[in-house]
Amino acid sequence: MRLLNLSGISRLLRAAVLALIIPAVPAGLAGQAGGPIKVVDSLGRTVVLPAKVERIISLEPEITRIIVALGAGERLVGIDFFLRRHDRLFPLVFPPSERLPVVSNQGQDLNYEEAIRLRPDIIFSSPSEFRMTDSIERKMKLPVVALASMGKFRDLLAEIETLGRIIGREERAAELVSFFGRRMGSLRETGPVRAAGAGPSAYLSFWGSLLRTPVSYEPVEAAGGKNLASGLLPSYLGTAGATVSLEQILLWDPEVILIQGNYPPAERQVTVEGILRDPRLASVRAVRDGRVHYTFGFWYWWDPALVLVETAYLVRLFHPGSFPDFDLTREGDAIFKEFYGAEGLFSALCRVLDCHEWKPE
Amino acid sequence: MSGNRNKRSTAAFVLAAVLPVVLLVLSLTIGVYRIPPKAVFTTVVGAVFPGGASGGPSPYADILFRIRLPRLLLALFAGAALAVSGASLQAIFKNPLVFEFSLGISYGAAFGAALSLVFLGRKVPAQAAAFVFAIVAVLAVLFIAGKAAAQVVTILLSGVIVSALFQALLSLVEFFANPYALQSLIFWLMGSLAEAEWKDLGVTLPVIGVGVTVLILLRWRMNVLSLGDDEARALGVNVKREKIVVIVLAALTTAAATAVTGVISWVGLIVPHLVRMAVGADNRKVIPLSAAYGACLLIVADDIARSVASFEIPIGILTSVVGIPFFIVLLKKSGKIWL
Repeated sequence: MRLLNLSGISRLLRAAVLALIIPAVPAGLAGQAGGPIKVVDSLGRTVVLPAKVERIISLEPEITRIIVALGAGERLVGIDFFLRRHDRLFPLVFPPSERLPVVSNQGQDLNYEEAIRLRPDIIFSSPSEFRMTDSIERKMKLPVVALASMGKFRDLLAEIETLGRIIGREERAAELVSFFGRRMGSLRETGPVRAAGAGPSAYLSFWGSLLRTPVSYEPVEAAGGKNLASGLLPSYLGTAGATVSLEQILLWDPEVILIQGNYPPAERQVTVEGILRDPRLASVRAVRDGRVHYTFGFWYWWDPALVLVETAYLVRLFHPGSFPDFDLTREGDAIFKEFYGAEGLFSALCRVLDCHEWKPE
Repeated sequence: MSGNRNKRSTAAFVLAAVLPVVLLVLSLTIGVYRIPPKAVFTTVVGAVFPGGASGGPSPYADILFRIRLPRLLLALFAGAALAVSGASLQAIFKNPLVFEFSLGISYGAAFGAALSLVFLGRKVPAQAAAFVFAIVAVLAVLFIAGKAAAQVVTILLSGVIVSALFQALLSLVEFFANPYALQSLIFWLMGSLAEAEWKDLGVTLPVIGVGVTVLILLRWRMNVLSLGDDEARALGVNVKREKIVVIVLAALTTAAATAVTGVISWVGLIVPHLVRMAVGADNRKVIPLSAAYGACLLIVADDIARSVASFEIPIGILTSVVGIPFFIVLLKKSGKIWL
């Protein structure tokens, strides 16, 4: 009677639960220069780390991306399966990742023998893997640090700072945090965002289903919009996501519908065209007004550059006509260059996701 | 005793004729979008007689006719399909534990949906793939059973083998799945009526309707088959052919339902047992009553699934979580299995 491979989705389910039960724990860090340092991770565990971290295994895609943004990609010796098999962006921002060993897979959190062979100084894991984190530490006799933004800007910035200290890239971390803060601040201060007050109400269709929606999505609020599912209890699937009914969507009558677009077009289960043609949604304002769009959405939490681009994109999307010169690709390339140091990265991602077609009206 | 049972049978048939319709009408008023009963009435009347009463505001008509009605009709037909299939299979195999899972239908459908959701994108809809592989699973069972397809042990063993194969293939697809596609698959596997659409029902309902009707018409023969193979042969019945006809019909109806609803377990096991507890093991009564009460069970389960929380509870979870303890209590109280 068992139809579900629970081990395969364990991390997603635990992430959903943890989003509820774990208070946002900004990772802390203490210690003396040159000596071992102590970190309090997102699970509230105190971990003692060596002063020098040269060989890193990261099982959490968000952490891996930040390590690359901090300029320490060459220290990665093993990565999570998601980045190799499913992430369209990571191979673009860090091409050497193609040669890195994958140390996990869908049903197995860590390939221990491979991990031992790689002789890491530290392993990063996700806080949603709360049992696995302790288990790895016991078996590997290595420091294991669990960190993630859990979909909160504040925790994303704290994560960047903590990782900067752990790998000795405090200055670069401070640069990124400052850049992120400045760009986000300027977006929030943009005339229409401030003037709009209560911006458009938005329904977000995430995780390949019309009916699954995040109960918290900060880029929407930062862009002056209102996530209609905000405040709902997360249900059983996804990361902080709830499953709602079609009637609920009609009841909310959103002004804008956003579809998670982090998939290549052929892999999208929910499409703009499909929603616009769906007779059940014909009376919804967003459908009547043609305001159904793709956005990026979570992709094992965030890429710090991509979520910034997404917020800028949503600002323009929510305030049509206010930014006639907005160019998503140009904006995205500039932000990605700041994080990853190369030209045209966002353009390359857009070619995969077809986001050139997402231009706000 | 016999008089009591006859009275109970009559009451069960009267209730079976009325209850599905009453539940369907009542359920039209249930949902997160509050529509007053009077508005439901005027909207329905307005739709039936366009020149008469007011059709009500447009969202009401959209919700009633584009969202609730297809969903309720799917619940009605799928509930009937699952329950009748279970009752029919239990009758011909003389085994109270046989239902769609036993013939590999559910795992076949699950594998088909997995292939579609994980690898094929929108090219092949999950419903179509689920239906095709549910049928493939049953054909595989019949092929493996070969000439001994009329024997209970052989066909059940073949079902176990085919189920195990599709379960392994399903796990393989899950292993390679993008975690987000995996979520879609898990959602499908839990069963839901939330996305019922007329375009899906246009194919599904006729298949279920024909399958259920023919199975009900065959209820007399199922009585003969349930006497045992030798007795049935002595009465001039072609046992193998009749059993295969019932199996194929049960598979078709279940596959048609599962393809649209996802995996909804236990309906095919619980409903026929409850019916037998009420009216005895006569398939002339059990089969049609199972259809009616299966439909009722799924309508009520769906009402609960869509109204008790701010999010939808997958109906497959609900039928299992509520149905199994209920079934255990009934078995414990009665102390026997009806067949």
